[in-house]
Amino acid sequence: MSETKPYLDRWAGLALLLPMAALLAIFFVYPLARTVWQSFYEYGFTLRAYETLLSSTLFWKVLKTTFAISFTATIVALLAGYPVALHLSRLPPQRRMPYLVMVMLPFWTSILVKSFALIVLLGYDGIVNNALSFVFGSPIHIPMVFNRVGAILGMVNYLLPFMILSILSSLLTQDVNLGRAAEVMGASRFTIFRRITLPLSMPGVLAGVLISFTLSIGMYITPALLGGRQDMMMANLIDFYTRQTLDWPLASAIAVVLLLVSGVLVAMLGQVRGAGGMKEMAR
Amino acid sequence: MQPIARDMIRVTALTRTYGSFNALDAVDLSVAQGEFVTLLGPSGSGKSTLLNLISGMIEPTSGKIEIDGRDATNQPTNQRGLGMVFQNYALMPHMTVFENVAFPLQVRKVPKSEIETRVRDVLRLIQLEHVADRKPKQLSGGQQQRISLARCIVYRPSIILMDEPLGALDKKLREDMQLEIKRLHAELGITMIYVTHDQEEALAMSDRIVLMRKGRIEQQGRPEELYFRPDTLFTADFLGSSNLLMGTIDVSARTLQTAYGNLPLPATRPGEPKSGDGVLMIRPESVRLFSETAPETWSGLQATVRDSIVLGSFVRHFLELPGGKRVIVQEPSGASLSRPERGSTVRVAWGPQDARLLRTDPDFQNL
Repeated sequence: MSETKPYLDRWAGLALLLPMAALLAIFFVYPLARTVWQSFYEYGFTLRAYETLLSSTLFWKVLKTTFAISFTATIVALLAGYPVALHLSRLPPQRRMPYLVMVMLPFWTSILVKSFALIVLLGYDGIVNNALSFVFGSPIHIPMVFNRVGAILGMVNYLLPFMILSILSSLLTQDVNLGRAAEVMGASRFTIFRRITLPLSMPGVLAGVLISFTLSIGMYITPALLGGRQDMMMANLIDFYTRQTLDWPLASAIAVVLLLVSGVLVAMLGQVRGAGGMKEMAR
Repeated sequence: MQPIARDMIRVTALTRTYGSFNALDAVDLSVAQGEFVTLLGPSGSGKSTLLNLISGMIEPTSGKIEIDGRDATNQPTNQRGLGMVFQNYALMPHMTVFENVAFPLQVRKVPKSEIETRVRDVLRLIQLEHVADRKPKQLSGGQQQRISLARCIVYRPSIILMDEPLGALDKKLREDMQLEIKRLHAELGITMIYVTHDQEEALAMSDRIVLMRKGRIEQQGRPEELYFRPDTLFTADFLGSSNLLMGTIDVSARTLQTAYGNLPLPATRPGEPKSGDGVLMIRPESVRLFSETAPETWSGLQATVRDSIVLGSFVRHFLELPGGKRVIVQEPSGASLSRPERGSTVRVAWGPQDARLLRTDPDFQNL
């Protein structure tokens, strides 16, 4: 290909980016920088916030809880999402559409609405417990909200579209002839899944897991509304220090830690996505 | 002629409909052991449908499929014991060449040591032993297709199905691969069913060509039979180029009355039109150019030379009959070739036995 003159020259292109860049600079980069600054500055530069943090048993406990809940929610979302993605990938495109809309629907619903809906469903006298009581003829009150199960279910509900879509996109790039070829060669459906479909979908699985985990560790409303007292996560801890103890440097330090962890995960995600070779090979 | 072998594949009244569309319409076909049969036809003619029905990837609406003497009509694909080569190779991108070729053997639970030797042997057979540890994407298209062929051969299926296997390769490579496939066919004696829309490929490779049209078999036979003795206009037109002259059959004089004069007809044959309209087909290489008079028994017509092009080993003349009808003449070329001048008048003629009288066809109106 010969070099063609771009439609916009360099400066015109940058000019078009300016409004968005300004918006992000004012409402995203500046507050973020402020937060980082605040975690180091109390009447002069200090590491007090980080020292307090690292020696605080509460912080370590919450960090552990955050990772445990996020990990469990991610795995549950993976196990629940993979079969859905697999099924969707095998539908003809026009039949896949309505199901995709159903997968996407939670995206367009407020997380508050979803959380309250889950309380109505899973509560002490909720629809699920009532239905079970009706079926078994005796009052059943399985505790499913305001505990870890509730927090995880709420998070899984939020994570599923992300998980399903990233696995689906990777399944859809697979050449259908691979399965056919394997079938002609005598492979069973299970062998085809284990030796071909699953390994080739690993980039999608990895991407889904990383996105889900990254989203999970920053979750705030869902664990606050659906979780129990013991299920405080990092975001809730930030809230606690911001509004209850008014220790803003400490809250900022936690935010910086959370940002770093997310940053590492997003960088890993970039690696998975950037492994274009894998995607190209799945073609 | 080859001795008559048993049928490896026999399909009877095989039909596949999609709604009101007959993708395959009551087709009967037998393929003998060791035979190389090509399903040839334009897209939508049913050739791929037939292949996919044999492989089991689509289910027939009605009819019967027998493979090696057993009823396979409702047998799952993975139990039919077939091999298949795809146009896009369908090699597993996450496996090395070795693993790809070993895959069907692992599926068959062949012992590990035997897998090792059999994979090495078959890679040696296709002269690609040195790429065993590479990934398919690191190989050229031709190499990938040879690996995909090796992956079939390695488990010794009795039949290999090929779905336009050379469609993605360039011309030179395609010709090399044609020879390679023919060599493997001759060495291994595997029955092969080959789908293509490329008539040259079909002519070059097949023991038998099955020409398909609109879900039915139009004509089948050895390549030279189809080429020189087509039964229908469709066959004549699909294979090679041809000169087609339409007219009315004069039964008593045994001539075809055309706008260009009365042309003598070849000796009668079964299946030819007896009266009414007919089309005379003459291959370009059967027509000769004469500056003055043609041999007495030959049909001859006046024509004007429009163009004359040298295509290496042969030369092709484009002529025009009075009224604008185009005629193509093909002759062997040579260093001493003298080309007729553009605009000059010549006589074109052919031996009566080289012409073939065919029925008219509603799909071929403007001849």
